[in-house]
Amino acid sequence: MPNALRTLYRTALIMVSVILLIPVVTASADERCASSPGHMRCQGKGSERLNIQGVVEADVLRPVLEAFHQRYPQITLDYRDASRGERRKPEGVPRDVDLLMSSAMAQQYQLANAGLAQSLGDGVVNPVWPDSARWRDELIGLTHEPLVMVYRRELADMGPPPVDHASLLTFLNHHRNALTGRIVTYDPARSPTGFMAVAQDVARSTEAWTLFEAMGKADTQLVDSTAAMLKGLIEGRYLIGYNLMGSYARRAVQSHPELVLQVPDDYALALQRLALIPKTAPHPDMARRFLAFITSSEGQQIMTTRTPLGSPLPTDDNATPAATSLEPIQLVPGLLALIDPLKREALLHRWQMIFTPHDPAGSHADTGEVE
Amino acid sequence: MSPAASLHRRLLGGLTVLLLLTCVLLLLQSWYSAQRSADRVHDRLLSSAAQVMSDHVSWRDGRLWFDVPASALNMLAPQGDERVFYTLVDHKGHAVSGNADLNALMSPLPTPGTFRTVSANLNGLSLRVGALGARLTAWHHREPYTLLVAHTLEARRAMTLALFRDSSLRLAGIVVLALAGLLMTLRLALNPLAHLRTKLKARSAHDLSPIDMSVPRELQELLEALNALLARQRQVRIHEQRFIGDASHQLRTPLAGIAASAELALRSSDTAHWQQALQEIQGGTRRATRLAEQLLSLTRLDSPQAPLTRQPVSLETLARETLIRFLPAADRAGIDLGLAEHCPALTVQGDDWQLEEALSNLIDNALRYARSRVTVGIDATDRVLYVEDDGPGIHASARAEVLRPFYRDQEQGPGSGLGLAIADGVARTHDGHMIMRHAANGDFMIGLHLPETAC
Repeated sequence: MPNALRTLYRTALIMVSVILLIPVVTASADERCASSPGHMRCQGKGSERLNIQGVVEADVLRPVLEAFHQRYPQITLDYRDASRGERRKPEGVPRDVDLLMSSAMAQQYQLANAGLAQSLGDGVVNPVWPDSARWRDELIGLTHEPLVMVYRRELADMGPPPVDHASLLTFLNHHRNALTGRIVTYDPARSPTGFMAVAQDVARSTEAWTLFEAMGKADTQLVDSTAAMLKGLIEGRYLIGYNLMGSYARRAVQSHPELVLQVPDDYALALQRLALIPKTAPHPDMARRFLAFITSSEGQQIMTTRTPLGSPLPTDDNATPAATSLEPIQLVPGLLALIDPLKREALLHRWQMIFTPHDPAGSHADTGEVE
Repeated sequence: MSPAASLHRRLLGGLTVLLLLTCVLLLLQSWYSAQRSADRVHDRLLSSAAQVMSDHVSWRDGRLWFDVPASALNMLAPQGDERVFYTLVDHKGHAVSGNADLNALMSPLPTPGTFRTVSANLNGLSLRVGALGARLTAWHHREPYTLLVAHTLEARRAMTLALFRDSSLRLAGIVVLALAGLLMTLRLALNPLAHLRTKLKARSAHDLSPIDMSVPRELQELLEALNALLARQRQVRIHEQRFIGDASHQLRTPLAGIAASAELALRSSDTAHWQQALQEIQGGTRRATRLAEQLLSLTRLDSPQAPLTRQPVSLETLARETLIRFLPAADRAGIDLGLAEHCPALTVQGDDWQLEEALSNLIDNALRYARSRVTVGIDATDRVLYVEDDGPGIHASARAEVLRPFYRDQEQGPGSGLGLAIADGVARTHDGHMIMRHAANGDFMIGLHLPETAC
């Protein structure tokens, strides 16, 4: 797309969202926070501004954002969910963003590794924050989220539901006809988080390909986000969802008893939602204030109780038997290998070989940042 | 006069400066060697990582294929917080894979089978880049390729600092020991000096005996000079004591005479006796006064506080005037006192009072010993002011002795024994000396040689 056209598109989008916002703003004037899908804005009393870009739906983060706004009412807060609306290239950072949050760990690591992030600053992050969730004072893991399986209760009618990767493979092979078209997972070509999940599965053991091939034969549906998977599961279109973000799944399962959340017994990859302050951030101090808030015990309290996001701080919850299979993805240079251009290409190529009959190649042209 | 810097401080200062200079050099050397070690270790790390990576380069689907191993990338970050970069470059120089364009940082790229490192800067990040030239090992494909790996310098810096800190600590320990040793050695070496000082301090003011102690060679000369000075002081002390003794003795004689005369006169009621006693008392008083005056003159001559005031003095006039003062005394003694027939004019730079005093003493002396004739004269060629008499003169062997205070040729002579000493003092004050000889006609000549002064 030519640049001029792109700018025009962006302007139009902003105008549309502004128009959409107006009624909402008047409706919740006392809160002064207005949200539309993919966007949330808290009008501050002062001139200070903070632009956050994340790949979590604004609604999920809403309690944290509102608490922050209540604490610092002078700051005008803009939260943009990059998984919605305008797509951008995964490389590079938009210039107006003060805080970039994403669970696409390798991409975030690559940005920081290339020196595009600035220092988080001394005394910003809660000192009890674990070292495994920090890198170089440039990256910080804000959440800790296992990748889980979710299935509908009626699955139990076919037999004992799968509890780990191996039993999922067996289950797929046994009930292929019944399951055809009713399994859902991330599309690694379109979602960096999905790509992370697949690449980590494969890096851990090449046996994962056997599972993916079985999933391909069962005409597994590929979607962009955990939210889409959960929606399909709730609606009954899908029976099994594979590699869902644990935080969303837990929330959905709480309100929908027909769903069952299964943390794989053998291993469950635990993603971190990494935040960084870009070098180009226009208001880095506001971003630091937000990080100080969200990592404080108060912020973590709100996050763990009022959002489905998991805290990286050690809690009693992490000590449950299911949590012992958690395998946190480390912040090490090895992450770069996951998104090596050649490797990525090869992995996606093989993935598409498995899934192509049901997935026209054209839909992969636009690889925006989605979850 | 402010004291010069102490010997201790000089030695300590010099040695400390030398020590510190050595330290600085050693520190520099250890910094560079620490850097070299850290670089060597981490360059080897780059090389190993590149080797591991090269095992994963292959040919697939008609193109170079690279399955980058995560472990090799992790290896590049030994501290965990280094930024890590890698690039695979094919034989045409195109980057095939990687997360940075490292091939722009090194040219030319190494030939297959070699490894090269270079320090570079990528977007403001200081990097160490290692490049491994390699070749595919498949049967049909032997294309060369280059693997470039790079990392930021945190681990190198940390290692350099750690190595440097260790060697600096060692060095600091050595320096502390060396300084302690230095202080102790200095104290030991300078001990004899302190010993000498305490010995000198403990000495009483009257103790002029030689210092007897064994000292190092360097102090031996000082000690010898000190002992020589003490010896001279002893000599001076002996002279002074003798002088005082002689002076008291000389003063006592006329005073005893006066006392005796007064006592005799008091016992008598005869006025004639009184008259004679008064005359004797007068004579004694004169002698005592004369002696006191001479003592005063001698003291003034020796005193450094009275500087010599030089002015032109005509010796002829001086001789004439002095002569006139002595004529009555000469008449009384029946001696012919006069000026030499040929008396040239001679002017010297000097103190007229001192010269007159010297001449007076010479004439006075001559009058005492002369039989019938005393002549005052001037020798312009030798620059001598002299007095001749026809007395017995002074024997050549006694000539040095007579210049000493209170020495007299005849033990019970009429003089005080100070006259020649005063004349000698004046001659020496004027940079000259006394001259004594028997003239051709048998007369004894004594005079002051007064050399021409510089001014």
